[in-house]
Amino acid sequence: MRWWCSQTMEPWSWTPQPYVGVWAVVIALASLRWRALRRRRAATGGIDVTTRQRWWFWLALMALWVASDWPVGALGAGYLASVHMSQYLIYTLVAAPLFVLAAPEWWVRQVLARRRLYRVVAWVSRPLYAVIIANGTLLATHTPWTVDTLRGSQVGSFLLDAIWLVTGIAMWLPVISPLQEHRVASVPLRSAYLFGAAGLTAMVPGGFLTFSRTPLYSSYEIAPRVGLSAIDDQQLAGALMKVGAVPVIWLVIAVIWVRWANAERDGDLRPGSPQRPTSTALERDAG
Amino acid sequence: MGDLDGAIAPDRSRAAGRLDSQARWRIGTIVVAAVVLVVAGLFASRSQGQRAMAFVDLDGSVTMPPALLVDTDGERFDLRTETAGRMTLLFFGYLSCPDACPIQMAVLGAAFGDLPSDVRDRYTVVFVTTDPARDSPEDLRTYLDRFDQSFVGLTGSSDELRDAQFAAGVPAATANEPDADGNYLVGHATQVLLFDPDGVARRAYGLGVRQADWVADLKTLAREVAP
Repeated sequence: MRWWCSQTMEPWSWTPQPYVGVWAVVIALASLRWRALRRRRAATGGIDVTTRQRWWFWLALMALWVASDWPVGALGAGYLASVHMSQYLIYTLVAAPLFVLAAPEWWVRQVLARRRLYRVVAWVSRPLYAVIIANGTLLATHTPWTVDTLRGSQVGSFLLDAIWLVTGIAMWLPVISPLQEHRVASVPLRSAYLFGAAGLTAMVPGGFLTFSRTPLYSSYEIAPRVGLSAIDDQQLAGALMKVGAVPVIWLVIAVIWVRWANAERDGDLRPGSPQRPTSTALERDAG
Repeated sequence: MGDLDGAIAPDRSRAAGRLDSQARWRIGTIVVAAVVLVVAGLFASRSQGQRAMAFVDLDGSVTMPPALLVDTDGERFDLRTETAGRMTLLFFGYLSCPDACPIQMAVLGAAFGDLPSDVRDRYTVVFVTTDPARDSPEDLRTYLDRFDQSFVGLTGSSDELRDAQFAAGVPAATANEPDADGNYLVGHATQVLLFDPDGVARRAYGLGVRQADWVADLKTLAREVAP
């Protein structure tokens, strides 16, 4: 029995395989949350978690589980570069932001105070550093050397997955951090940041993968084939890297702008706020 | 617990760096550009960095097996005569093989697709089955066409195939016990043997040789060996 998905060189089989490490991580995360909520209830009488946060947490956990466990985890670790790329996208663009959204502010402040991590997280949350971390991780973890080295062992493969999740969380902090002071205040800047963090440099490795005439990753070239040829698989991986983040980024940007517009409108309509004259009122005054 | 909520006051201004905003952006841009360049270099230099393993040089004591086999058209194929005067890549495998055969053939097929026509015309790739009971000439042809239509597929009697493997200097393949469905694996040599135009085995390429390495080696060998 293996504890984490990695390259095995065994022929691919659709018979499910257990990966106990994946289950252990999922159970550990669920247990940590349960313990935190239980302590909160003991201290304040309530758990102070919204229904949405509950949903975000379980969806995040499910995304993490799907991306790490058989069959996606196994295919991505040792058979198909395109699935490997899908894993990266799930970790950074689905699981990571959902975990951030799921975290209640009181819990984040509690953890950061106890671990003296506040300054580190504040530093990581600065847009410039977050852009560098996100893009640096994207580039570094997709070089052939990194992928071929880490995917060969269970520890390395786990490390790669963990790096994606942690840096994915860091990437999303300036946009949706539970701590308001860590978010980029300006909505246009927040949108620009998101585009820079998640969509900018993906073109570089994506281009190499798409246009290379030979497979770049030996992990996926010298592997039992699962449907696609090595070069077709690599081109698909490159295409995913280049455009896979686009729908998520633009969806989030659209949500940010709609919310901003709604907040502006609500601000205008709030009792006591200066009212803009309506056309009817202007006509009446003129009359 | 309420006091914990207030334990950390928003202090972005206090935590703000000592550098001014312009300097931070400048440094950030330089760092990002440097990382992009380094990574681009790592991607671009891959084929140079992983050329260590590729092949084992042979001592020249093995020659092309003098085997009279059957090709995918059902015609007799004299291995030694038909390959004389050409560079030949010889591989023993079987169609139901789940790992080594499809990997070797896929990589070799992709490499052949990447070779200039004048180079690829100098080579013959021969796939000899080690499972004649299941691999018919027609199935061999269908299988090899997935990789390259120029690849030659051969079969024969069990004795002929065993003798050919011994003559090529590789251990004879052995079939495992069939499972309940009658399926079985065949243990066989996984290396591709390179024979020069004189029919002398020069190199053995193990499992794991990459497309870029094949292309580089086959081009070099084509230049080194006079037409």
